[in-house]
Amino acid sequence: MIQFENVTKTYKGSTVALRNCSVDIDKGEFVFLVGPSGSGKTTFIRLLLREELPDSGRIWEAGREIGKLPKWRIPYLRRNIGCVFQDFRLLPTKSVFENVAFALEVIGRPKHVINTQVPQVLDLVGLSKKRDNLPGELSGGEQQRVAIARAFVNRPLILLADEPTGNLDPTTSLGIMRLLDRINRTGTTVVIATHDAGMVDQMRRRVIELDRGVLVRDQARGVYGLDGSVSAAGAGSPTGLPIETSTNNEPDGPMAAEA
Amino acid sequence: MAVSVGYVSREATSNLWRNRMMTVAAVLTVAVSLALVGSALLLKQGAAHATERWQQGVNVVVFVNAGASHSQFSSVGRQLHQLPYVKSCVARSQAWDYAEARSIEPAEVFQALTPAITPSSWRCALNQPSEAALIVQQFAGKPGVEHVASPSAQIRTMETVIHVLQWAFLAVAAVLLLSASVLILNTIRMAIFARRREVSVMKLVGATNWFIRLPFMAEGLVQGLLGSLVAVLVVLGLYFGFLDQTKTAANQSSLIVQMSLGATEVTVTCIVVLVVGVLAGVIGSALAVRRFLDV
Ligand SMILES: Nc1ncnc2c1ncn2[C@@H]1O[C@H](COP(=O)(O)OP(=O)(O)OP(=O)(O)O)[C@@H](O)[C@H]1O
Ligand SMILES: [Mg+2]
Repeated sequence: MIQFENVTKTYKGSTVALRNCSVDIDKGEFVFLVGPSGSGKTTFIRLLLREELPDSGRIWEAGREIGKLPKWRIPYLRRNIGCVFQDFRLLPTKSVFENVAFALEVIGRPKHVINTQVPQVLDLVGLSKKRDNLPGELSGGEQQRVAIARAFVNRPLILLADEPTGNLDPTTSLGIMRLLDRINRTGTTVVIATHDAGMVDQMRRRVIELDRGVLVRDQARGVYGLDGSVSAAGAGSPTGLPIETSTNNEPDGPMAAEA
Repeated sequence: MAVSVGYVSREATSNLWRNRMMTVAAVLTVAVSLALVGSALLLKQGAAHATERWQQGVNVVVFVNAGASHSQFSSVGRQLHQLPYVKSCVARSQAWDYAEARSIEPAEVFQALTPAITPSSWRCALNQPSEAALIVQQFAGKPGVEHVASPSAQIRTMETVIHVLQWAFLAVAAVLLLSASVLILNTIRMAIFARRREVSVMKLVGATNWFIRLPFMAEGLVQGLLGSLVAVLVVLGLYFGFLDQTKTAANQSSLIVQMSLGATEVTVTCIVVLVVGVLAGVIGSALAVRRFLDV
């Protein structure tokens, strides 16, 4: 579903954000992208959205090499990708329903499609009762659910999330992760860039770690940090659930996928 | 994917309303500049008409002395023919001039004339009536020439005034049109800024570039169109107020009557005004979209 082949991305000012990065993510996988600040996680996501082009290397998404995509095809690529951010990016003057419907309206979906799909997805994220509220009247967790509903309403093949729980408390974060997990179970490939060590440790899904732009770890059923840092993260685990120390720290092959 | 007309007009209208002060300023500037363009066009066409009428009616007439010899008469004719700005030149006999004098001169003047003392003449059509002065200069006082009759200085002054006025109008109109485009560009820029959140979401969820651009383009187009509609009203007001052919009966000799225009000319003027207004709007908004809307 997603394939990076020796991708290098340098920003002007000669910051190397990704260095010779190769990775394979299959359809239906659930992947955490971790690493310290500035390690290139957001860059990874921006490349997938084709907001940036790599300096060298190639990227495939849904069977297409996106570097070769002509400019006018980019919107059609993005219709297959949902994306949520730390700051939600909702439209403050539109209601919950309108915010989600907007995503379908602006890609020309007819009214009857909007009127069936939006309630469905609001039901999925558990916000049917708040459909007429404005984002300002919702808690952070609820706002992020609206953002997820908007990203998912067009049934994308891939859902990207850049620190989706960065602004949320641990309990709310867990709810958001469960929601993303549920979406993943519908067959959608989910990639989450995060600093949330407790969450990563708890979910035990594939972890890809970047450090200063270099892919340093790719591990199935991984944890946030290795060894010492695991227990450190575990000690601070906000959910209070016991953290098992991973017995398998060897990076798995790129084809490794959570069953 | 088709961009729905309903969507585009809804978005454009709400943008226009949000920035209504700027919109009014832009529309008024378009209106004033295009009213000037329209007036200049009317003036130009009116002047062309008037000139045409003068040219038909008033040629330069070089009267040759009644007593001049035949060779003197034809030498004056040859010299006239050689002038580059003389279109054509026809000789009139004494008898012809006598007959003409009888029909146009008051009785006292005509009674003093006999065919024998009526001078014969050369009647010249000119490329431009303003060149009549040159002929007067060159031929008045030449041997054998009695008198050179030309369109009055007043008419020539009038023509110069109209000419200057017309260019002044067009120059002012050009400057105003430029500022109108800049104003439109600025309103669109503000609209884009006001909608930057929507625009970023649209890009994120995969709205096509034209879907994002069109409401802003339509907004510029509407501003240009509204302005030019006001200008069209001004042009029509001028036409029905002053230059309408149906009023010619009132005062046959007035300049206004000589400038009178037909309905086709006014229609063409209105169409030009509309097209220029729409172009100003579209160009202004296209520049804003290119410059400020990163899609
Ligand atoms: N638009 C940009 N122009 C220039 N440099 C950039 C740009 N975006 C990111 N960078 C640089 O690229 C590197 C990687 O940035 P990136 O945003 O991908 O990191 P990140 O892993 O998402 O960090 P964080 O966890 O803090 O969000 C950083 O050194 C950053 O300064
Ligand atoms: Mg980041």
